Amino acid sequence: MNHPVFIDRKSVSVYFGLWALVAGVHFSVFYFFYDFTFEIAGADSIVFNFLFCLIGISLWYIVRYTIPDKTNFWNVAFNHLTYLALTLVVWIGLPYTLLNWLFNGFKPYHDFLMISIPYRLFSGILFYALTGLVYYLIIYYKNLQEKVRTESRLRELLKETELNMLKSQINPHFLFNSLNSISSLTITNPGKAREMIIKLSDFLRYSVSTNTKRFNAFENELANIRRYLEIEKVRFGDKLQFDFDIDKDCCTHKIPLMILQPLFENAIKHGVYESTEQVKIEMKCRHSKGFLEIVIENDFDPDAHPRKGTGLGLKNIRERLRLLYKTDKLLATSVSGTKYFVFLTLPNIEPLETNYEPQL
Amino acid sequence: MTLKTIVVDDEQPAREVIKHYLKDFPEIDIVGEFQDGFSGLKAIQELKPDLVFLDVQMPKLTGLELLELLDHPPLIIFSTAYDQYAIKAFEMNAVDYLLKPYSKERFAQSVQKSIAQAGTVVKTAANVENLVRSLDENPEYLQRIAVKSRHKVSVVPVEDIFYLEAEGDYVMIHTKEAKHLKEKTMKYFESHLDPSQYIRIHRSYIVNAKFIDRIEYYDKESYSILLKNGAKLRASTTGYKLLKQILNM
Repeated sequence: MNHPVFIDRKSVSVYFGLWALVAGVHFSVFYFFYDFTFEIAGADSIVFNFLFCLIGISLWYIVRYTIPDKTNFWNVAFNHLTYLALTLVVWIGLPYTLLNWLFNGFKPYHDFLMISIPYRLFSGILFYALTGLVYYLIIYYKNLQEKVRTESRLRELLKETELNMLKSQINPHFLFNSLNSISSLTITNPGKAREMIIKLSDFLRYSVSTNTKRFNAFENELANIRRYLEIEKVRFGDKLQFDFDIDKDCCTHKIPLMILQPLFENAIKHGVYESTEQVKIEMKCRHSKGFLEIVIENDFDPDAHPRKGTGLGLKNIRERLRLLYKTDKLLATSVSGTKYFVFLTLPNIEPLETNYEPQL
Repeated sequence: MTLKTIVVDDEQPAREVIKHYLKDFPEIDIVGEFQDGFSGLKAIQELKPDLVFLDVQMPKLTGLELLELLDHPPLIIFSTAYDQYAIKAFEMNAVDYLLKPYSKERFAQSVQKSIAQAGTVVKTAANVENLVRSLDENPEYLQRIAVKSRHKVSVVPVEDIFYLEAEGDYVMIHTKEAKHLKEKTMKYFESHLDPSQYIRIHRSYIVNAKFIDRIEYYDKESYSILLKNGAKLRASTTGYKLLKQILNM
């Protein structure tokens, strides 16, 4: 956090203005009430108040690194008492030396300096306490503001993510086209139609019922992806080929729910929908050093000039991964010739339950 | 009277349904089935069918882009899964619009409708034109434009366009590789391209702001816009003002 006195021109003027005011009062009391000469009253006021004005600025750095929430009580007390003692020694010692030397021959003032030490000590402690208090208030206020801002941003993100999840859940194109395929199969191959209805039901059930969970075993997600691809294969026939190469020890790994589905939807949309050639979708999954490394690749027609997608799929996944694992580096994509690659790396820890993972 | 009919759909099961339902109509003579927009277009031009069952979402060329490229469109029955804009538009204008999956009765209705309309081809052509026009009400901006030269059809992504130039009743589309003539008006492109990127700088020009290299003062009434491919366009005072406003100059 920046020094509150030097945030802008205004805060600088307020700080120095206040000290000028204190110095003014100090001067008036000495000049009118104690009947000191103009020079003595002026010098006393300027030296003491200007010095504390500077000490007050330095006090920020003590306050800044002595936050009661983060530091234990004894540390806080020790820091402040030490600095207070140092402050008082400097604040009284320096001016006394200076003023004694300046007004060497003037005994009443010299006596006054000696008598007034307890008052000086008292006002020093008071100044110290007031300045410190104001600094603490500023820090707490800033932190509070920051917290409110972060929380509202997170809440916003959560809503967006929930919405995107809902949107990506069941693609109406997919649903209606699948139903149309079933309608067709009832004519040509009723047995297969029944089989497809069961697959579609399982797929829908999985999408709908597992919503309350945040993570699921990789093998369950995989089974659902397989169902999805089999349904699409009925629509597209030999045009769609798929092949999975999965290490056995990947199966029990917990992964965020429905994190793979949008990736396969993309592969179908940009690969199969836009191409007249055969399109192969492959997934490789390895388990290494506590990470699940998933590579999904699909053929696509680079000349197809596909209509731009909404980009929702990838953005949604990236956002979820960021909220769950607090890093941006888990998802990458690349293009090589007529192949599109998605690389997904998932840590082998079930992340702590956070409040930010959508619950539908 | 028989209607020469083709089916254009990229999903085999979808074509199966149509063919099966059509068995009840001896007037319908299926002369071919096609799996993508390009081959569908070619078939329509070569086989000259009376009736086409057309899917919307297909590889290469969508059903709507295909329809746009036809000079004398036959009767068209769209059959598609889901399209909220199209539903609204087609309900008013299409020969018919079938939402997948559809019932035999619903299908029979639309076939009868086309048989009834078959005699009045002129009216239908106008209908289809209306339909394409009403689809234009779709608020989304164009992302690609289907164009045809004498022998081939290509799809131009709007990102690749340097500028558009008025050519009588046509518009010349200039891209890095080529130029294409399209039977549309400047007004059409002005309202169908994203106005924050494609700017009408002159009565005769719409420029892709992305490719502007620099702007030079020409005379009191106009400015020269130099593009990254070396082309030099004239901008009117109004066009220049618009450009300035959009580019935040």
